[in-house]
Amino acid sequence: MNLGALTATFLLAGALLVVFGLVYRVAVRSHARGELSYDGIRLLRWALAGQLAIFVVLGITAFLT
Amino acid sequence: MEQAVAPTQARSLPPFTKRLLQWSFAVGIIPPVALVAALATKSGYLLDYVHVICGGTWTGFDLYTGLVLSRILRSLEVPARVEVSKRLTPTTFFIIPSLAATAIVSGIYLAISLGKFNLGDPWIMAAGVVVVILTAQGFGVFLPNGLRVFLELAKTKPDVALISKLTMRNVRLAASQAVFQVIIILIMAHLAVY
Repeated sequence: MNLGALTATFLLAGALLVVFGLVYRVAVRSHARGELSYDGIRLLRWALAGQLAIFVVLGITAFLT
Repeated sequence: MEQAVAPTQARSLPPFTKRLLQWSFAVGIIPPVALVAALATKSGYLLDYVHVICGGTWTGFDLYTGLVLSRILRSLEVPARVEVSKRLTPTTFFIIPSLAATAIVSGIYLAISLGKFNLGDPWIMAAGVVVVILTAQGFGVFLPNGLRVFLELAKTKPDVALISKLTMRNVRLAASQAVFQVIIILIMAHLAVY
């Protein structure tokens, strides 16, 4: 297992979660004010799931080297 | 004569947004899966291929965006820019980060397999610096801007000026990414030959 690669993947995934978390907080507030449809919130969740899926596949490579 | 009815609740996203996002994911998942296949089969040839095609496509996209698309967008009126952005943002949302991440990760594995991943080597250090800059731009600007465009699209009253501004910021940044990628290809060419 390549520990360096796995650590880097976790760090990048963490950065991704931070960015999504910040945008998600703004989105939830906008939704509460009635400015943003629930579609926007749902889209953010799907976008996060998709990006995480890509990171999971990249994370698998750490176990192949 | 019928009166226009004001929206009473937040509107839905344009119908094509979801389709374009799904397409982006379907294409974007291919590079990391190909990298897994290259490593699982221990094929240096496939690993090299994945690295070159991902890096080349990523660079090509940024060059195209920075040199061609930016000029086209600048010549358009704001509403037309927004229409392009509505489609460009979801289409590239998964593809570009996936190409970038796969190009970088496969490049590191390739350098390790060729015995060139020496962190004391100034050429490897230079490549590392460029990669850090490109990654910071991706996570710090491209990704949040793309997400903010999505949120505006889902709002009752989308701020078209903001969508246009965020899109143009991403396009300008793509041009700067292209410059860094041309530099990193110069470094790669050196590492490949010497």
